[in-house]
Amino acid sequence: MTFSKLYDTPATAVADIHDGATLLIGGATRNSEPTALLVALLASGVRDLTCVCDFADWDGSEGVLQLAHAERIASIISPFPFAGESGGVIRKQWQAGALAVEVIPQGTLAERLRAAGAGIGGVFTPVVLGTRFADGRETRTVNGVECVLESPLRADFALIRADRADALGNLAYQGAQRGWNAVMAPAARITIAEVDVVGEPGAIDPELVITPGIYVNRVVHAPPTGEQG
Amino acid sequence: MPPAKLDPQAMARRAAGFIAPGDVVAVDSGLPSLVPGVTPPDLGAWFLRNNGMLNDLPLSLADAAAVTRGGYVDLAVVNAGQVDAAGSFSSLISTVHSGPNPPGNAVDLAAGSGRVIAMLPHADDQGRPNIVATLSSPADGLRCVSAIITDIAVIEVDSGGLTLAEVAPGWSGNDVRALTGADISISPALREMDFSPPTGVPPSKVYPDGPSAIADVPDGATVFIDGFGGPGGMAHYLLISLRDQGSRDLTIVSNTAGIARVVSFGTPPGRTAIDHSVLIENGQVAKAIASFPVSPSVSRPSEFELAYRRGEVDLELVPQGTLAERLRAGGAGIHAFYTPTGAGTLIAEGKESRNIDGRDYILEYGLRADFAIIRAHKADTNGNLVYRGTSRNFNAVMAPAARVTVVEVDEIVEAGQLDPEEIVTPGVFVQRIVKRPDAFTGYE
Repeated sequence: MTFSKLYDTPATAVADIHDGATLLIGGATRNSEPTALLVALLASGVRDLTCVCDFADWDGSEGVLQLAHAERIASIISPFPFAGESGGVIRKQWQAGALAVEVIPQGTLAERLRAAGAGIGGVFTPVVLGTRFADGRETRTVNGVECVLESPLRADFALIRADRADALGNLAYQGAQRGWNAVMAPAARITIAEVDVVGEPGAIDPELVITPGIYVNRVVHAPPTGEQG
Repeated sequence: MPPAKLDPQAMARRAAGFIAPGDVVAVDSGLPSLVPGVTPPDLGAWFLRNNGMLNDLPLSLADAAAVTRGGYVDLAVVNAGQVDAAGSFSSLISTVHSGPNPPGNAVDLAAGSGRVIAMLPHADDQGRPNIVATLSSPADGLRCVSAIITDIAVIEVDSGGLTLAEVAPGWSGNDVRALTGADISISPALREMDFSPPTGVPPSKVYPDGPSAIADVPDGATVFIDGFGGPGGMAHYLLISLRDQGSRDLTIVSNTAGIARVVSFGTPPGRTAIDHSVLIENGQVAKAIASFPVSPSVSRPSEFELAYRRGEVDLELVPQGTLAERLRAGGAGIHAFYTPTGAGTLIAEGKESRNIDGRDYILEYGLRADFAIIRAHKADTNGNLVYRGTSRNFNAVMAPAARVTVVEVDEIVEAGQLDPEEIVTPGVFVQRIVKRPDAFTGYE
């Protein structure tokens, strides 16, 4: 018997995502976002979600935006929660007090996710020093450089998108897909990958595997529906 | 009628003029994202975008953050909302609003880059200046902008404030000053903006041989040496080159301190494996930072062990995963980090301990080196590397953490010949490339 991480449908793969869960949502463009998983999540009716993602309120990001329209998101953690004054539904909900927004610079978000995935308790880096992102934060001087303590950012689930997977959950990406998806995969308790192509174990050249299957709990085959971002 | 303002493409062409051959250029979204498209490919610039793409190489965002935080960015082009006279900027759009401004990656670019230039419209649609005495929202980058490119001018920023250096065609210094919301002096050498593309090619990274590639390793240098235990993934040719070069008092950082010779895996009869021992025998090593510093065989001590027993070398013992993490931190601009590895053991002695969310951690520090000598399978002429199998081991994590990374490869190919998806170490982390001579083996 071969153990398989393959799930038949996006709906079964996200069925245990519960109200109040913290989700890492990969991608920044349409073909790097786990669209089918987000559609299934919307259909599941789950609410009070905390969503960690790059561009939240952006035309290309149907998934997160639809969750926001349906008032399922309690909190957004993002470097780009909305674009200045032009923000739409997320900005409106934030202004109405219906949705919390935490802004984290992009590199800091990546480093905090990376720390979570690598079991690091916190990192000292000077990057945000002097900006509003250092307000109220623990600092210390390391090797003569004043640094801020950044803590790991862990999540209950990561919903990610890759180009192809094998049944063991080994993943390869294509181009900019790698960006957030590869950082988020190790940082969640349960990582669910939506992929265009699924192969047998060994189908992906080991030198090309970017995310080892040990970080991936579930794989859903969801070929693209045509439109590419 | 005022003269025409520049269109975004013209602003991008002017920004491209700031790029030197081979520069690593981090480009923000918005106006800066136009710069790569107007830069001549021959210039050999590396463009890092905020989706993690480094030219055509896909990076994870953690690796992209390491490029900026590790100090690899020569020039950052930020999409500013406002810039003040001290060179601080905010990334909000031009009109004032309350709330969480999206900083994107501007904070990283401001903090980690050699030089920061800001691109923005000189004034907003209502004619309100974007170059101001005081920012109307919190800064994303503090006193970091050295030049501002707008749709009517180029302004230089230094400790003395703003100096108008260039104007768009048809604009006078006083016209520009009238639209500027901060004190600005007009350079006596004020000139019209020049949109000609930058020229030049980056110096070659390919060195003719090992000795020339490591000739400037000084006495007292810290040197990363890749490899695991056996001969795989070890830069034997560069090790011999370093031995022959003779620099002394070296601190070597490596998984072992040279055990390939004593474990002898795969060594042909009558020959000896080349490993760190060649440096130790030659009296060049003062200290090793390693996770497997001793031989697995009591009866066959390594050269390092013998030297240690004689009191000739120091040793800092580091668990293997901590060594990898310290190297990663060193390359990614992380000065220290908490790890649970070693908490409560001998490894924790003398180190800060901390309980975080119910788990004990100890504080470990990033490791950086003057030189790394590493081994890969192939390089292209830009220094992009692919490894083969387990020979990847410490190579990939050492490359970003050294000031000068020298790689020994089996084959050097032209730029563009390696599959971007397969490249593990981007060339921005590799300064020198040496082809291992065909006849060279890992054995003496």
